[in-house]
Amino acid sequence: MQASRARLFKEYKEVQREKSADPDIQLVCDDSNIFKWTALIKGPSETPFEGGVFQLAFSVPEQYPLQPPQVRFLTKIFHPNVHFKTGEICLDILKNAWSPAWTLQSVCRAIIALMAHPEPDSPLNCDSGNLLRSGDIRGYQSMARMYTRLAAMPKKG
Amino acid sequence: MQNQEEHVEESETEKMTSTQPSEVDDWANFRDDDIMQQQSAIQAEEAEKIPFVGDKEPLSSLADEYRSGSPILLEKIKVLTDQYAAIRRTRGDGNCFFRSFMFAYLEHIMESQDEAEVDRIKANVEQCRMTLQSLGYAEFTFEDFFALFLEQLESVIQGSEASISLDELIQRSRDQSVSDYVVMFFRFVTSGEIRKRSEFFEPFILGLTNASVEQFCKSAVEPMGEESDHVHITALSDALGVPIRVVYLDRSSCDNGSVSVNHHDFIPVSNNLPCASNGGTEATNPFITLLYRPGHYDILYPK
Repeated sequence: MQASRARLFKEYKEVQREKSADPDIQLVCDDSNIFKWTALIKGPSETPFEGGVFQLAFSVPEQYPLQPPQVRFLTKIFHPNVHFKTGEICLDILKNAWSPAWTLQSVCRAIIALMAHPEPDSPLNCDSGNLLRSGDIRGYQSMARMYTRLAAMPKKG
Repeated sequence: MQNQEEHVEESETEKMTSTQPSEVDDWANFRDDDIMQQQSAIQAEEAEKIPFVGDKEPLSSLADEYRSGSPILLEKIKVLTDQYAAIRRTRGDGNCFFRSFMFAYLEHIMESQDEAEVDRIKANVEQCRMTLQSLGYAEFTFEDFFALFLEQLESVIQGSEASISLDELIQRSRDQSVSDYVVMFFRFVTSGEIRKRSEFFEPFILGLTNASVEQFCKSAVEPMGEESDHVHITALSDALGVPIRVVYLDRSSCDNGSVSVNHHDFIPVSNNLPCASNGGTEATNPFITLLYRPGHYDILYPK
Protein backbone atom coordinates (compact mmCIF):
# COMPACT_ATOMS: atom_id res chain seq x y z
CA MET A 1 0.00 0.00 0.00
CA GLN A 2 2.74 2.39 1.05
CA ALA A 3 4.90 1.31 -1.89
CA SER A 4 2.12 1.82 -4.41
CA ARG A 5 1.29 5.23 -3.00
CA ALA A 6 4.93 6.31 -3.19
CA ARG A 7 5.22 5.08 -6.75
CA LEU A 8 2.00 6.82 -7.83
CA PHE A 9 3.21 10.04 -6.25
CA LYS A 10 6.38 9.80 -8.36
CA GLU A 11 4.25 9.28 -11.44
CA TYR A 12 2.14 12.26 -10.45
CA LYS A 13 5.21 14.48 -10.22
CA GLU A 14 6.50 13.15 -13.53
CA VAL A 15 3.16 13.89 -15.19
CA GLN A 16 3.25 17.47 -13.88
CA ARG A 17 6.81 17.95 -15.05
CA GLU A 18 6.26 16.49 -18.52
CA LYS A 19 2.88 18.01 -19.13
CA SER A 20 3.71 19.39 -22.54
CA ALA A 21 5.87 16.45 -23.64
CA ASP A 22 2.95 14.42 -24.97
CA PRO A 23 0.15 16.66 -26.25
CA ASP A 24 -2.00 13.64 -27.11
CA ILE A 25 -2.34 12.56 -23.49
CA GLN A 26 -3.79 14.44 -20.57
CA LEU A 27 -3.51 12.36 -17.43
CA VAL A 28 -5.25 13.60 -14.30
CA CYS A 29 -5.25 12.20 -10.79
CA ASP A 30 -8.42 12.27 -8.71
CA ASP A 31 -8.27 15.13 -6.17
CA SER A 32 -8.93 12.95 -3.20
CA ASN A 33 -7.73 9.50 -4.25
CA ILE A 34 -4.33 8.80 -5.79
CA PHE A 35 -5.55 5.33 -6.83
CA LYS A 36 -8.09 6.79 -9.25
CA TRP A 37 -6.98 8.54 -12.43
CA THR A 38 -8.61 9.62 -15.65
CA ALA A 39 -6.99 10.35 -18.97
CA LEU A 40 -8.07 12.15 -22.09
CA ILE A 41 -6.36 10.78 -25.17
CA LYS A 42 -6.56 12.03 -28.74
CA GLY A 43 -7.55 9.60 -31.44
CA PRO A 44 -4.48 8.94 -33.60
CA SER A 45 -4.35 10.66 -36.97
CA GLU A 46 -5.12 8.72 -40.14
CA THR A 47 -7.43 6.43 -38.18
CA PRO A 48 -11.23 6.53 -37.85
CA PHE A 49 -10.63 7.94 -34.36
CA GLU A 50 -8.88 11.08 -35.60
CA GLY A 51 -10.39 14.24 -34.18
CA GLY A 52 -11.96 12.40 -31.27
CA VAL A 53 -11.05 12.78 -27.62
CA PHE A 54 -11.48 9.62 -25.57
CA GLN A 55 -11.77 9.39 -21.83
CA LEU A 56 -10.12 6.54 -19.95
CA ALA A 57 -10.70 5.55 -16.32
CA PHE A 58 -7.85 4.06 -14.28
CA SER A 59 -8.31 2.12 -11.09
CA VAL A 60 -4.97 1.29 -9.52
CA PRO A 61 -4.69 -1.76 -7.24
CA GLU A 62 -2.84 -1.68 -3.93
CA GLN A 63 -0.27 -4.09 -5.35
CA TYR A 64 0.72 -1.58 -8.03
CA PRO A 65 3.23 -1.53 -9.69
CA LEU A 66 3.61 -5.30 -9.31
CA GLN A 67 0.07 -5.56 -10.64
CA PRO A 68 -1.34 -3.60 -13.57
CA PRO A 69 -3.86 -0.79 -13.30
CA GLN A 70 -7.38 -1.51 -14.49
CA VAL A 71 -8.17 0.71 -17.42
CA ARG A 72 -11.25 1.16 -19.53
CA PHE A 73 -12.79 3.51 -21.99
CA LEU A 74 -15.50 5.75 -20.60
CA THR A 75 -16.10 7.15 -24.07
CA LYS A 76 -17.95 4.82 -26.42
CA ILE A 77 -15.60 3.44 -29.07
CA PHE A 78 -16.04 0.94 -31.91
CA HIS A 79 -12.81 -1.05 -31.87
CA PRO A 80 -12.17 -4.82 -32.01
CA ASN A 81 -10.24 -4.86 -28.74
CA VAL A 82 -12.55 -2.70 -26.66
CA HIS A 83 -15.77 -4.06 -25.18
CA PHE A 84 -18.59 -2.07 -26.71
CA LYS A 85 -20.64 -1.86 -23.51
CA THR A 86 -18.14 -1.87 -20.65
CA GLY A 87 -15.17 -0.19 -22.32
CA GLU A 88 -12.90 -3.01 -21.13
CA ILE A 89 -9.67 -3.19 -23.13
CA CYS A 90 -7.97 -6.33 -24.40
CA LEU A 91 -4.30 -5.51 -24.22
CA ASP A 92 -1.55 -7.89 -23.08
CA ILE A 93 0.30 -5.33 -20.97
CA LEU A 94 -2.83 -4.83 -18.86
CA LYS A 95 -2.81 -8.55 -18.10
CA ASN A 96 -0.04 -11.13 -18.19
CA ALA A 97 2.56 -8.99 -19.96
CA TRP A 98 2.40 -6.22 -17.36
CA SER A 99 5.60 -5.15 -15.65
CA PRO A 100 6.52 -2.27 -13.35
CA ALA A 101 8.55 -0.79 -16.21
CA TRP A 102 5.22 0.51 -17.54
CA THR A 103 3.66 3.67 -16.18
CA LEU A 104 0.17 5.13 -16.39
CA GLN A 105 1.52 7.47 -19.05
CA SER A 106 3.10 4.71 -21.13
CA VAL A 107 -0.10 2.65 -20.80
CA CYS A 108 -1.93 5.57 -22.43
CA ARG A 109 0.61 5.50 -25.25
CA ALA A 110 0.08 1.76 -25.67
CA ILE A 111 -3.68 2.29 -25.87
CA ILE A 112 -3.24 4.96 -28.54
CA ALA A 113 -1.04 2.50 -30.45
CA LEU A 114 -3.75 -0.15 -30.09
CA MET A 115 -6.32 2.28 -31.52
CA ALA A 116 -4.14 2.69 -34.60
CA HIS A 117 -3.30 -1.01 -34.86
CA PRO A 118 -6.30 -3.14 -33.89
CA GLU A 119 -5.78 -6.85 -33.28
CA PRO A 120 -8.91 -8.38 -34.82
CA ASP A 121 -7.84 -11.90 -33.87
CA SER A 122 -8.48 -11.33 -30.17
CA PRO A 123 -11.70 -9.34 -30.32
CA LEU A 124 -13.82 -8.11 -27.43
CA ASN A 125 -16.11 -6.47 -29.96
CA CYS A 126 -16.84 -9.28 -32.39
CA ASP A 127 -18.79 -7.14 -34.84
CA SER A 128 -15.86 -4.85 -35.20
CA GLY A 129 -13.41 -7.76 -35.37
CA ASN A 130 -15.48 -9.56 -37.98
CA LEU A 131 -15.56 -6.54 -40.25
CA LEU A 132 -11.78 -6.36 -40.19
CA ARG A 133 -11.28 -10.09 -40.48
CA SER A 134 -13.56 -10.34 -43.48
CA GLY A 135 -11.57 -7.58 -45.10
CA ASP A 136 -14.32 -4.96 -44.95
CA ILE A 137 -11.95 -2.14 -44.04
CA ARG A 138 -14.36 0.45 -45.36
CA GLY A 139 -17.21 -0.92 -43.25
CA TYR A 140 -15.03 -0.95 -40.14
CA GLN A 141 -13.76 2.55 -40.72
CA SER A 142 -17.18 4.05 -41.31
CA MET A 143 -18.65 2.42 -38.20
CA ALA A 144 -15.68 3.49 -36.11
CA ARG A 145 -15.82 7.02 -37.53
CA MET A 146 -19.53 7.27 -36.84
CA TYR A 147 -19.05 6.40 -33.18
CA THR A 148 -16.11 8.76 -32.94
CA ARG A 149 -18.40 11.56 -34.17
CA LEU A 150 -21.27 10.54 -31.93
CA ALA A 151 -19.37 9.99 -28.74
CA ALA A 152 -15.89 11.48 -28.89
CA MET A 153 -16.31 14.86 -30.55
CA PRO A 154 -17.65 18.01 -28.99
CA LYS A 155 -21.19 18.78 -30.11
CA LYS A 156 -21.44 21.74 -32.43
CA GLY A 157 -23.86 24.56 -31.79
CA MET B 1 -23.92 -12.53 -35.50
CA GLN B 2 -25.19 -9.35 -33.96
CA ASN B 3 -26.94 -7.05 -36.32
CA GLN B 4 -26.39 -3.43 -36.98
CA GLU B 5 -29.73 -2.34 -35.55
CA GLU B 6 -28.42 -3.00 -32.11
CA HIS B 7 -25.60 -0.60 -32.74
CA VAL B 8 -27.99 2.05 -33.93
CA GLU B 9 -30.01 1.63 -30.76
CA GLU B 10 -26.87 1.82 -28.71
CA SER B 11 -25.82 4.96 -30.40
CA GLU B 12 -29.13 6.61 -29.68
CA THR B 13 -29.03 5.87 -26.02
CA GLU B 14 -25.45 6.97 -26.08
CA LYS B 15 -26.39 10.30 -27.59
CA MET B 16 -28.72 10.98 -24.74
CA THR B 17 -26.32 10.06 -22.03
CA SER B 18 -23.11 11.34 -23.51
CA THR B 19 -23.71 14.91 -22.41
CA GLN B 20 -23.16 13.87 -18.83
CA PRO B 21 -19.95 11.85 -18.58
CA SER B 22 -20.81 8.39 -17.39
CA GLU B 23 -20.45 7.83 -13.71
CA VAL B 24 -19.56 4.20 -13.99
CA ASP B 25 -17.90 3.34 -10.74
CA ASP B 26 -19.13 -0.16 -10.91
CA TRP B 27 -15.96 -2.17 -11.25
CA ALA B 28 -17.87 -5.28 -10.29
CA ASN B 29 -19.05 -6.05 -13.80
CA PHE B 30 -15.58 -5.48 -15.11
CA ARG B 31 -14.54 -8.83 -16.53
CA ASP B 32 -10.81 -8.29 -16.26
CA ASP B 33 -11.37 -7.85 -12.58
CA ASP B 34 -12.98 -11.27 -12.39
CA ILE B 35 -10.06 -12.83 -14.19
CA MET B 36 -7.58 -11.16 -11.86
CA GLN B 37 -9.56 -12.26 -8.84
CA GLN B 38 -9.66 -15.80 -10.05
CA GLN B 39 -5.95 -15.70 -10.72
CA SER B 40 -5.13 -14.43 -7.27
CA ALA B 41 -7.41 -17.09 -5.77
CA ILE B 42 -5.42 -19.75 -7.58
CA GLN B 43 -2.20 -18.16 -6.37
CA ALA B 44 -3.48 -18.11 -2.82
CA GLU B 45 -4.30 -21.80 -3.10
CA GLU B 46 -0.78 -22.54 -4.33
CA ALA B 47 0.65 -20.42 -1.53
CA GLU B 48 -0.96 -22.74 1.03
CA LYS B 49 1.05 -25.63 -0.38
CA ILE B 50 4.52 -24.10 -0.28
CA PRO B 51 5.86 -20.71 0.79
CA PHE B 52 7.91 -18.63 -1.66
CA VAL B 53 10.98 -20.15 -0.03
CA GLY B 54 10.66 -23.40 1.94
CA ASP B 55 12.60 -24.85 4.85
CA LYS B 56 15.91 -26.63 4.40
CA GLU B 57 15.21 -30.32 3.96
CA PRO B 58 17.58 -33.29 3.84
CA LEU B 59 18.09 -34.63 0.33
CA SER B 60 16.25 -37.80 1.36
CA SER B 61 13.01 -35.84 1.05
CA LEU B 62 13.72 -35.59 -2.65
CA ALA B 63 14.13 -39.35 -2.89
CA ASP B 64 10.83 -39.82 -1.05
CA GLU B 65 9.12 -37.82 -3.75
CA TYR B 66 10.21 -40.28 -6.44
CA ARG B 67 9.87 -43.47 -4.44
CA SER B 68 7.51 -45.02 -6.96
CA GLY B 69 8.88 -43.03 -9.87
CA SER B 70 11.55 -43.42 -12.48
CA PRO B 71 14.49 -45.64 -11.45
CA ILE B 72 16.86 -43.37 -13.35
CA LEU B 73 15.83 -40.43 -11.17
CA LEU B 74 16.25 -42.44 -7.98
CA GLU B 75 19.66 -43.54 -9.19
CA LYS B 76 20.60 -39.92 -9.89
CA ILE B 77 19.37 -38.72 -6.52
CA LYS B 78 21.65 -41.31 -4.96
CA VAL B 79 24.55 -39.82 -6.93
CA LEU B 80 23.54 -36.34 -5.76
CA THR B 81 23.58 -37.51 -2.16
CA ASP B 82 27.34 -38.04 -2.43
CA GLN B 83 27.89 -34.36 -3.04
CA TYR B 84 24.89 -32.56 -1.65
CA ALA B 85 23.34 -32.54 1.78
CA ALA B 86 20.12 -30.60 1.55
CA ILE B 87 17.54 -28.93 -0.62
CA ARG B 88 15.43 -25.84 -0.09
CA ARG B 89 12.34 -25.73 -2.26
CA THR B 90 10.81 -22.64 -3.80
CA ARG B 91 7.29 -22.05 -5.01
CA GLY B 92 6.61 -22.96 -8.63
CA ASP B 93 5.11 -19.61 -9.56
CA GLY B 94 7.33 -18.84 -12.55
CA ASN B 95 9.70 -16.83 -10.35
CA CYS B 96 11.48 -19.84 -8.86
CA PHE B 97 14.84 -19.20 -10.52
CA PHE B 98 15.03 -15.58 -9.35
CA ARG B 99 13.65 -16.46 -5.92
CA SER B 100 16.14 -19.31 -5.48
CA PHE B 101 18.97 -17.03 -6.56
CA MET B 102 17.84 -14.32 -4.15
CA PHE B 103 17.78 -16.57 -1.14
CA ALA B 104 20.92 -18.52 -2.00
CA TYR B 105 22.89 -15.33 -2.57
CA LEU B 106 21.74 -13.51 0.57
CA GLU B 107 22.21 -16.63 2.68
CA HIS B 108 25.74 -17.00 1.30
CA ILE B 109 26.59 -13.42 2.22
CA MET B 110 25.10 -13.90 5.66
CA GLU B 111 27.20 -16.99 6.28
CA SER B 112 30.43 -15.79 4.71
CA GLN B 113 30.20 -12.14 5.84
CA ASP B 114 32.20 -11.48 2.70
CA GLU B 115 32.29 -7.70 2.60
CA ALA B 116 34.55 -7.65 -0.44
CA GLU B 117 31.85 -9.53 -2.34
CA VAL B 118 29.23 -7.06 -1.11
CA ASP B 119 31.31 -4.14 -2.35
CA ARG B 120 31.86 -5.90 -5.64
CA ILE B 121 28.20 -6.61 -6.26
CA LYS B 122 27.23 -3.08 -5.25
CA ALA B 123 29.49 -1.77 -7.99
CA ASN B 124 27.77 -4.11 -10.45
CA VAL B 125 24.34 -2.99 -9.26
CA GLU B 126 25.40 0.60 -9.88
CA GLN B 127 26.48 -0.46 -13.37
CA CYS B 128 23.06 -2.04 -13.93
CA ARG B 129 21.37 1.17 -12.85
CA MET B 130 23.35 3.09 -15.45
CA THR B 131 22.57 0.47 -18.08
CA LEU B 132 18.83 0.88 -17.51
CA GLN B 133 19.14 4.66 -17.58
CA SER B 134 21.04 4.59 -20.84
CA LEU B 135 18.41 2.25 -22.30
CA GLY B 136 15.82 4.91 -21.57
CA TYR B 137 14.08 3.46 -18.51
CA ALA B 138 12.64 6.16 -16.27
CA GLU B 139 14.52 5.99 -12.97
CA PHE B 140 11.35 6.05 -10.88
CA THR B 141 10.13 2.83 -12.51
CA PHE B 142 13.01 0.74 -11.15
CA GLU B 143 14.63 2.64 -8.25
CA ASP B 144 12.34 1.21 -5.55
CA PHE B 145 13.30 -2.33 -6.56
CA PHE B 146 17.01 -1.49 -6.51
CA ALA B 147 16.70 0.16 -3.11
CA LEU B 148 14.95 -2.84 -1.63
CA PHE B 149 17.63 -5.26 -2.85
CA LEU B 150 20.44 -3.08 -1.47
CA GLU B 151 18.57 -2.88 1.82
CA GLN B 152 18.47 -6.70 2.05
CA LEU B 153 22.15 -6.85 1.16
CA GLU B 154 23.02 -4.44 4.00
CA SER B 155 20.89 -6.31 6.47
CA VAL B 156 22.59 -9.68 6.05
CA ILE B 157 25.91 -8.12 7.01
CA GLN B 158 26.07 -8.47 10.77
CA GLY B 159 26.96 -5.85 13.32
CA SER B 160 24.76 -2.96 12.37
CA GLU B 161 21.37 -1.82 13.59
CA ALA B 162 19.75 -3.11 10.44
CA SER B 163 21.26 -6.60 10.74
CA ILE B 164 18.91 -9.54 10.63
CA SER B 165 19.10 -13.22 11.58
CA LEU B 166 18.72 -16.19 9.25
CA ASP B 167 15.18 -16.71 10.53
CA GLU B 168 14.36 -13.16 9.64
CA LEU B 169 15.87 -13.58 6.20
CA ILE B 170 13.59 -16.57 5.70
CA GLN B 171 10.60 -14.55 6.89
CA ARG B 172 11.41 -11.69 4.53
CA SER B 173 11.84 -14.10 1.64
CA ARG B 174 8.33 -15.33 2.35
CA ASP B 175 6.90 -11.84 2.65
CA GLN B 176 5.53 -10.85 -0.72
CA SER B 177 6.25 -7.16 -0.29
CA VAL B 178 9.99 -7.89 0.06
CA SER B 179 10.36 -11.09 -1.92
CA ASP B 180 8.52 -9.99 -5.05
CA TYR B 181 10.34 -6.65 -5.08
CA VAL B 182 13.72 -8.39 -5.02
CA VAL B 183 12.59 -10.78 -7.77
CA MET B 184 11.53 -7.76 -9.79
CA PHE B 185 14.92 -6.16 -9.17
CA PHE B 186 16.56 -9.22 -10.75
CA ARG B 187 14.14 -9.04 -13.67
CA PHE B 188 15.10 -5.43 -14.34
CA VAL B 189 18.80 -6.29 -14.10
CA THR B 190 18.39 -9.29 -16.43
CA SER B 191 16.42 -7.31 -18.97
CA GLY B 192 18.95 -4.47 -18.94
CA GLU B 193 21.85 -6.88 -19.52
CA ILE B 194 20.07 -8.64 -22.41
CA ARG B 195 19.23 -5.35 -24.10
CA LYS B 196 22.67 -3.92 -23.54
CA ARG B 197 24.27 -6.91 -25.25
CA SER B 198 21.44 -7.61 -27.64
CA GLU B 199 23.68 -8.72 -30.49
CA PHE B 200 25.15 -11.40 -28.19
CA PHE B 201 21.79 -12.62 -26.88
CA GLU B 202 19.81 -12.37 -30.12
CA PRO B 203 20.69 -15.81 -31.55
CA PHE B 204 19.85 -17.53 -28.24
CA ILE B 205 16.54 -15.71 -28.06
CA LEU B 206 15.73 -16.62 -31.65
CA GLY B 207 16.39 -20.22 -30.66
CA LEU B 208 13.78 -20.02 -27.91
CA THR B 209 11.06 -17.96 -29.52
CA ASN B 210 10.43 -16.00 -32.64
CA ALA B 211 10.58 -12.73 -30.76
CA SER B 212 12.98 -9.83 -31.14
CA VAL B 213 15.24 -9.03 -28.20
CA GLU B 214 12.99 -6.12 -27.28
CA GLN B 215 9.82 -8.24 -27.42
CA PHE B 216 11.50 -11.02 -25.47
CA CYS B 217 12.49 -8.66 -22.67
CA LYS B 218 9.04 -7.13 -22.54
CA SER B 219 7.11 -10.38 -22.61
CA ALA B 220 9.40 -13.01 -21.07
CA VAL B 221 11.78 -11.22 -18.71
CA GLU B 222 10.16 -8.16 -17.15
CA PRO B 223 6.69 -9.53 -16.32
CA MET B 224 6.47 -11.34 -12.97
CA GLY B 225 5.74 -15.05 -13.24
CA GLU B 226 7.49 -15.53 -16.58
CA GLU B 227 9.75 -18.55 -16.32
CA SER B 228 13.49 -18.34 -16.71
CA ASP B 229 15.62 -20.06 -19.28
CA HIS B 230 19.35 -20.23 -19.86
CA VAL B 231 19.19 -16.76 -21.43
CA HIS B 232 17.92 -15.27 -18.16
CA ILE B 233 20.50 -17.14 -16.09
CA THR B 234 23.38 -16.13 -18.32
CA ALA B 235 22.29 -12.50 -18.29
CA LEU B 236 21.78 -12.29 -14.53
CA SER B 237 25.06 -14.05 -13.82
CA ASP B 238 26.92 -11.70 -16.16
CA ALA B 239 25.21 -8.54 -14.94
CA LEU B 240 25.86 -9.17 -11.27
CA GLY B 241 29.14 -11.05 -11.78
CA VAL B 242 27.92 -14.02 -9.76
CA PRO B 243 28.70 -17.55 -10.97
CA ILE B 244 25.82 -20.03 -10.75
CA ARG B 245 25.90 -23.83 -10.88
CA VAL B 246 22.81 -25.57 -12.17
CA VAL B 247 22.49 -29.30 -11.53
CA TYR B 248 20.16 -31.07 -13.91
CA LEU B 249 17.91 -33.78 -12.58
CA ASP B 250 16.06 -35.34 -15.51
CA ARG B 251 15.58 -38.74 -17.02
CA SER B 252 18.39 -38.58 -19.52
CA SER B 253 20.90 -41.39 -19.21
CA CYS B 254 24.13 -42.53 -20.79
CA ASP B 255 24.21 -45.37 -23.27
CA ASN B 256 26.71 -47.37 -21.30
CA GLY B 257 24.27 -47.69 -18.43
CA SER B 258 26.21 -45.63 -15.94
CA VAL B 259 24.31 -42.85 -14.26
CA SER B 260 25.80 -39.42 -13.80
CA VAL B 261 24.24 -36.10 -12.98
CA ASN B 262 25.03 -33.26 -15.34
CA HIS B 263 25.64 -29.77 -14.22
CA HIS B 264 26.41 -26.55 -15.96
CA ASP B 265 28.32 -23.61 -14.52
CA PHE B 266 27.28 -20.17 -15.61
CA ILE B 267 30.48 -18.18 -15.28
CA PRO B 268 30.09 -14.44 -15.72
CA VAL B 269 32.01 -12.77 -18.49
CA SER B 270 34.03 -10.29 -16.56
CA ASN B 271 33.76 -6.67 -17.52
CA ASN B 272 36.75 -5.58 -15.49
CA LEU B 273 39.87 -7.37 -16.63
CA PRO B 274 42.03 -7.08 -13.49
CA CYS B 275 39.52 -9.25 -11.67
CA ALA B 276 39.57 -11.87 -14.39
CA SER B 277 43.34 -12.16 -14.47
CA ASN B 278 43.77 -12.84 -10.78
CA GLY B 279 40.50 -14.70 -10.43
CA GLY B 280 41.59 -18.13 -11.55
CA THR B 281 39.68 -21.09 -10.22
CA GLU B 282 38.73 -19.27 -7.06
CA ALA B 283 36.56 -16.79 -8.89
CA THR B 284 34.96 -19.40 -11.08
CA ASN B 285 33.82 -21.77 -8.37
CA PRO B 286 30.11 -21.02 -7.95
CA PHE B 287 28.84 -20.62 -4.41
CA ILE B 288 25.26 -20.78 -5.65
CA THR B 289 23.97 -24.20 -6.66
CA LEU B 290 20.48 -24.68 -8.01
CA LEU B 291 18.73 -27.93 -8.75
CA TYR B 292 16.86 -27.92 -12.03
CA ARG B 293 14.07 -30.31 -12.72
CA PRO B 294 12.29 -29.65 -16.01
CA GLY B 295 10.29 -26.48 -15.38
CA HIS B 296 11.51 -25.74 -11.86
CA TYR B 297 14.48 -24.54 -9.79
CA ASP B 298 15.24 -25.21 -6.12
CA ILE B 299 18.31 -24.50 -4.00
CA LEU B 300 20.90 -27.23 -3.36
CA TYR B 301 23.35 -27.30 -0.44
CA PRO B 302 26.72 -29.02 -0.95
CA LYS B 303 28.14 -31.18 1.81
